[in-house]
Amino acid sequence: MRRAFSNCLIQMARQNPRVIFLTGDLGFQIFDEFKKEFSSRYVNVGVAEAQLMLAAAGLAKEGWRPIAYSIASFATARPFEQIRISICYPNMPVVIVGAGGGYTYSNSGVTHQSPDDLGLMSMLPGMTVVAPGCPSELSMLMPGLFSLKGPSYLRIGRFGEPDYQSASPAEIGKARLLRNGEKVAIMCTGDIGTVVIQAVEFLNRDGITPIVYQMHTIKPLDTDVLNGLAKKVKSIILVEEHLPSGGLFSAVAAWLVTNSRKLRLVRLGAPDIMITGSPRREELRRRIGCDAESIRQACVKEWDG
Amino acid sequence: MNKEDTFLEKKARTVRATCVQMAYDGKEGHLSSALSCVDILIALYNGFLHVDASKPKDINRDRFFFSKGHACTALYAVLADRGFVPVEWLQSYAKTDSPFPNHPCIHALPVLEASSGSLGHGLGLATGSMYGLRLDKIDTRAVVLMSDGECNEGSVWESAMFAAAQNMDRLLAIVDYNGVQAVGRSDEIMGYTSLEAKFKAFGWAGTTINGLSISEIRGALAKFPFAKNKPSFIIAKTRAGAGISFMEDDQVWHYRKPSDDDLKRALSELGEKPMYLRQVEQNEKSV
Repeated sequence: MRRAFSNCLIQMARQNPRVIFLTGDLGFQIFDEFKKEFSSRYVNVGVAEAQLMLAAAGLAKEGWRPIAYSIASFATARPFEQIRISICYPNMPVVIVGAGGGYTYSNSGVTHQSPDDLGLMSMLPGMTVVAPGCPSELSMLMPGLFSLKGPSYLRIGRFGEPDYQSASPAEIGKARLLRNGEKVAIMCTGDIGTVVIQAVEFLNRDGITPIVYQMHTIKPLDTDVLNGLAKKVKSIILVEEHLPSGGLFSAVAAWLVTNSRKLRLVRLGAPDIMITGSPRREELRRRIGCDAESIRQACVKEWDG
Repeated sequence: MNKEDTFLEKKARTVRATCVQMAYDGKEGHLSSALSCVDILIALYNGFLHVDASKPKDINRDRFFFSKGHACTALYAVLADRGFVPVEWLQSYAKTDSPFPNHPCIHALPVLEASSGSLGHGLGLATGSMYGLRLDKIDTRAVVLMSDGECNEGSVWESAMFAAAQNMDRLLAIVDYNGVQAVGRSDEIMGYTSLEAKFKAFGWAGTTINGLSISEIRGALAKFPFAKNKPSFIIAKTRAGAGISFMEDDQVWHYRKPSDDDLKRALSELGEKPMYLRQVEQNEKSV
């Protein structure tokens, strides 16, 4: 996904001379090509995330379209107050990019895990929060962030995520239908989407055909799709690499309660704990019930239940 | 001392009187922080900053970031004095939906470069602003007014590092070193180290001056930029509550609101009337 990001960034910079890229000293070699073509529009502020956000806000104030890049935890939790005060308060159109969101860096330990980025960013008024699931989806969503009037957060994965295909295009603010089906819906956000697709392939072999949506936009939440689903399915399985608070489950649960829908929600995601032990990502997904087998089992249960 | 400095000193007394009146009427504190930076603001807005009240958003204006937002009565009074806002507005300070909330808000007062109130934002914003303007080949300057307490914030030093790395010699940071922060003396809290030495170590050029002397402030501003390819700083040594004997250097005036008696004593000491009461009086006369 990071290669797709870098390519898309170059395209955006070619199309729009106001696009300027800032990094908190991360992205080794990924942005060499960008730097070569747009040397003055590549700014490395150093390992200084507060300054990353403040400089981006100052640039936006002067009519630039800044895109501020760091590892997800360092792009959100650490400079949260700078984002809140200097970007969101004046509603500056800064695109904040958190690379390696969720548990991309699970085996680097708690410091590098980012299971709260979507929640933190969603809590900010006016913030659009987007987590694409695969490289082609990112390429479809990223350009739209540069025409928003206000700030946005883009959670991206790392390298080499497999692409999944879907007949419907990805559009900011609209849930993306990945697989049509019946009875049960599976919704996910971010690059766990590839695992969901894997699980659905197993399920299909057994004649189980859930509807699958990629909720790449956490905020604003596509309630139209949810309202439609409420008439079609009895339960929704939500899969997220996020803490129970603030992520996809939180948003959908709030919608469900507010609208008195009769629907069962099943959450597959991280519990409210710090993940120690530096597990590899596949192992962690298994432990928190977000691997393909856990998703398959959860779906079978809902399908038969 | 020349005639202009004398004129500006009188103006500073009027602004101080206005700050006390606003704190009294608005029932909000931070008066001592406002009083300490009055002379700096007067010097900046009278001859240094290229800003024009008739074209407040002119692209070529100097960018002024008032980063010590809590001291905003002084800023509001000076903006009114320079015609950026009507003097009558000063009466609304700290009232609901006022253009002058007790921390400056860009939505309430769009003439500002940025909202402030949370410390350690102004300098970083100024560096971003300057970077963009430089790319656009707009040869303007940025001035940031910070407090000494504000320099406790790590973000100030992240921004200071960036400004030096980017050779931002169109950027000036002025520190209102009034010696007092919310619950202690800044020197005690910061360990009696030199702020000037810190800025120099970060690659900046500048000087330390008496920040309560308008002629000294103007003299220092005239030397800007202090070095080619380096951002500039001025450490302006002031006193919290400056200009009013019973408020000077007294910790308590960071939060205390003036009583009827405090107001009377302060105005009598300053020997000048607040700007907006004077306006009201004139209106009354005309009626």
